Amino acid sequence: MSDRKARLTITVDPRLSAYAEQLVAEGRAPSVSAVFNDAMEARIQRERRQRRLWNEAAERADPGKVARMMAHVDAQAAALLRGE
Amino acid sequence: MSKDGGATPPPYVVDLSVAVAVARFDASIMSLMQGYDARGQSLVVPVLTLTGASLDVRTDDADDLLEGLERLGNAEVAPVRDAEQATRLAEVIARTGLDPWDAHVAAVADAAVCPILTLDAAKWQEHARDLDEPLHFIQITDPDEAPGGPGAEQTDPDEAPGGPGAEQTDPDEAPGGPGAEQ
Repeated sequence: MSDRKARLTITVDPRLSAYAEQLVAEGRAPSVSAVFNDAMEARIQRERRQRRLWNEAAERADPGKVARMMAHVDAQAAALLRGE
Repeated sequence: MSKDGGATPPPYVVDLSVAVAVARFDASIMSLMQGYDARGQSLVVPVLTLTGASLDVRTDDADDLLEGLERLGNAEVAPVRDAEQATRLAEVIARTGLDPWDAHVAAVADAAVCPILTLDAAKWQEHARDLDEPLHFIQITDPDEAPGGPGAEQTDPDEAPGGPGAEQTDPDEAPGGPGAEQ
């Protein structure tokens, strides 16, 4: 993927736009674009962290226990579908 | 109908006990959720269930895990969308005496005619007939860890779908949390 910045036209809530402009005015961000860039980067990092936590759980789980629980759930669901 | 000719299972409505297990990083429950997601089983997560689970655990990790539940490909968060749903929820709370998060589960399950996926069948058994139509529920449990060990369950799981008369919850395995049975 190219490192060149992509030009986007986006629509944002007025309060978010105002906050981004305030950050720039206070010297806490170099530009409004940088604020939204940082926000997207933070979201990517958060979602990666969430995926990592879920993957760690999958690695820690006892596959036999999970299979037994799933079979038990499936049996109950099948009985419900049969109207029992 | 599913591809193999069997009836397509309805979505499962995830209740507070399951969400709390996720928030507490219960690897088995999280792996089970991922397994259902991988095979295309739809999961509905009432949004107040996430609220209740977040209140129960109160850590950033827990909130990340709950957000991760929402991100499963076949999971959908059910909101309280409008005034009609809000007042319907109030009616369910008034009729059942359930906490708001449990009542939201009941309201979603009742409206969509979907079974509730739970670790706490005793709670749903108690309220199964509180609404006009009976609530159906499916208990997550490892039969090998049932009280007394493998094969010690009183009820054959194949014969015990959720709903009135369904098997009892092992109180030792009931998760804590707002409204959880102790």
